[in-house]
Amino acid sequence: MNSLQELQAIIKSKDNFTKFVINSEVPAVCKNEPCMLGVDEAGRGPVLGPMVYGVSYCPLNRKSILEELGCADSKALTEAKRDEIFTKMLTEEDSLNNVGWAVEVISPNYISNSMYRRAKCSLNEVSMNSAIDLIKKAAESGVNITEVYVDTVGPPEKYQTKLSEIFPSYKITVAKKADSIYPIVSAASIVAKVTRDHALKVWHFNEGLQLDHTEFGSGYPGDPLTKKFIRDRIDNVFGYPLLVRFSWSTAELMLQEKAAACTFEDVDDPGKGKSKSTKTISSFFTLKTEDSKPRKRHKFFEERHLSTCTDFD
Amino acid sequence: MSILVENNLIKNENEDIFEQKSHYIPCKIEQDGSANVKKYFDPYIVENNSQELSATFRGHPLDGTQITFPEGYRAVLVTETKRPLTEDAERKFQVTGGFKNFTYWNWDKKPSKNDDLCKAMDWIEIAEAIHGD
Repeated sequence: MNSLQELQAIIKSKDNFTKFVINSEVPAVCKNEPCMLGVDEAGRGPVLGPMVYGVSYCPLNRKSILEELGCADSKALTEAKRDEIFTKMLTEEDSLNNVGWAVEVISPNYISNSMYRRAKCSLNEVSMNSAIDLIKKAAESGVNITEVYVDTVGPPEKYQTKLSEIFPSYKITVAKKADSIYPIVSAASIVAKVTRDHALKVWHFNEGLQLDHTEFGSGYPGDPLTKKFIRDRIDNVFGYPLLVRFSWSTAELMLQEKAAACTFEDVDDPGKGKSKSTKTISSFFTLKTEDSKPRKRHKFFEERHLSTCTDFD
Repeated sequence: MSILVENNLIKNENEDIFEQKSHYIPCKIEQDGSANVKKYFDPYIVENNSQELSATFRGHPLDGTQITFPEGYRAVLVTETKRPLTEDAERKFQVTGGFKNFTYWNWDKKPSKNDDLCKAMDWIEIAEAIHGD
């Protein structure tokens, strides 16, 4: 891959309702020299589009290359600047020989499905699993990792403990705003952000909607275009096209208000079985009127929800 | 109360109308009418190597399997144009189509013989043993 057009083509060729990984080749030097690896994510909050996890790595003594590329706090960089840096990573000799990267594109449907499982899997779990998988994959492909830097939105301590348990031989640093402190995390962040931006640009609606990203906006619930999309693009039965994260409260509330009501069975209803509570002492002393219970059908029919009904003529 | 079913499709040469595609969805949806299945549901049905199906509905993961009715059975769709106002009046239905198999979907659980709907099919065999000749 040597251009963002090619990145777009690869994204387009994948199913946009699952998750997939795109990665660079591992520079030979990263297999021998001890390396640092940075982890960051893009698109955690938006109600539309995928969340992208990114890692980037380079030898410990080649940190200067990242600075030359311009890897700094990705939030302070414009979209054009981020595109420029990623393009350099894909084309410039010096970068190609020293810096490797990988991203996992986690589709909105994968996120909704995880959060709407019987045993709910939170966004934090989805995120952590993605980060862990990407680190493992980098190690499997031969990267000689010694230090890992991770950006986090939540409390760093728990995350750090978990990662240290899984990767005991790495020196692991989890920090808030790691993105602006460690250039290797900035690089990961840029790779992730650029991938998310382009994933939205080439989004294909399997539902056949003829819309592009200029019409649904950034995906952040505050964006007027996104708001309009969430309000207007409702199918009464199916809710939304799978660009939308159904499990986001913005989408949930809008569907409650505007689409056909939909109820799934409750998982382990805690109220169940409590109705037959212990009888009160006094109930044994009051005169019972024999209540006429309807004849109960055999369990066979009850379990199968079978009931008799009228014949047709 | 008696129920009358009219079949105006009996001379219909197009057999497809009685072999329509049908899905059993594991939730209650308060809508009676058409649904954009082809656009919103079909594109996301995936079959894995062991013929297990997966799909998604309103963000919920679904696991599915094909179920064919036992020999001699099929499903018929009927609609009622106008429901009578009184309880004991005669009701009239029109046959509008049918299906011979359907896709059974569970919410995040592989379909098995233990699912209520699959177990309900047992009755057909038992009824035959009890009431058959």
